[in-house]
Amino acid sequence: MASEMERDEEEEEEEEESASEILRDRFRLSTISIAEAEGKKNGVQISEPIVACVSDLAFKYSKQLAKDLELFAQHAGRKSVNMEDVILSAHRNDHLAASLRSVSNDLKAKEPQSERKRKKNTRKEDKS
Amino acid sequence: MEENTFDPDLIRAIFNLVWKKRAAEREKNERTETVEAEMGVGTSKKNRLTSANANALKLSCELLRLFVTEAIQRAATIAEAEGSNKIEATHLERILPQLLLDF
Repeated sequence: MASEMERDEEEEEEEEESASEILRDRFRLSTISIAEAEGKKNGVQISEPIVACVSDLAFKYSKQLAKDLELFAQHAGRKSVNMEDVILSAHRNDHLAASLRSVSNDLKAKEPQSERKRKKNTRKEDKS
Repeated sequence: MEENTFDPDLIRAIFNLVWKKRAAEREKNERTETVEAEMGVGTSKKNRLTSANANALKLSCELLRLFVTEAIQRAATIAEAEGSNKIEATHLERILPQLLLDF
């Protein structure tokens, strides 16, 4: 019985690991396109291992972020993470928090208008 | 927003992986703690998995995008100062400590 439970746990861990690896690879693909665009903007090339390294750092950071966000939401007595939690996670860096705040305001402003905008766009397309 | 960013669904999947793992650990701890105590509490706490709303995920994408772009920009500055037009490991090493402190 006990050994069975252990085996189950091992299997679960393996599954988790492979799921994590798949996500890490997908994450890396996104990072490559972001990093290359940024490199072009700055007029530099980036050697491949560096992109992979930055990607792994960002991936680890995202896992840490998940932990933080969960704790922040729980501390506020919520089950769902909202934008304030994300801004709070950047509280050590004023610049970062400020730029996240402005993005969050943009997102908030967009939300009720998004449908109207979409309608406008389709109308324009119809005319042309 | 920016044309090049992370996919919110991908970030949701990463977050969910971490949250599931932590929920499983919590459950395990509770099980050992309350073996002889009441079982009803444990089952009611089982389904308290954390979730994130759509805007929070978008904002997290932006945060992670900033992390990557900052790393590249700072390394590019060092590379330029050294007269190189390719970012190598030494350039990343130089900017890494401050980058990690800033995020």
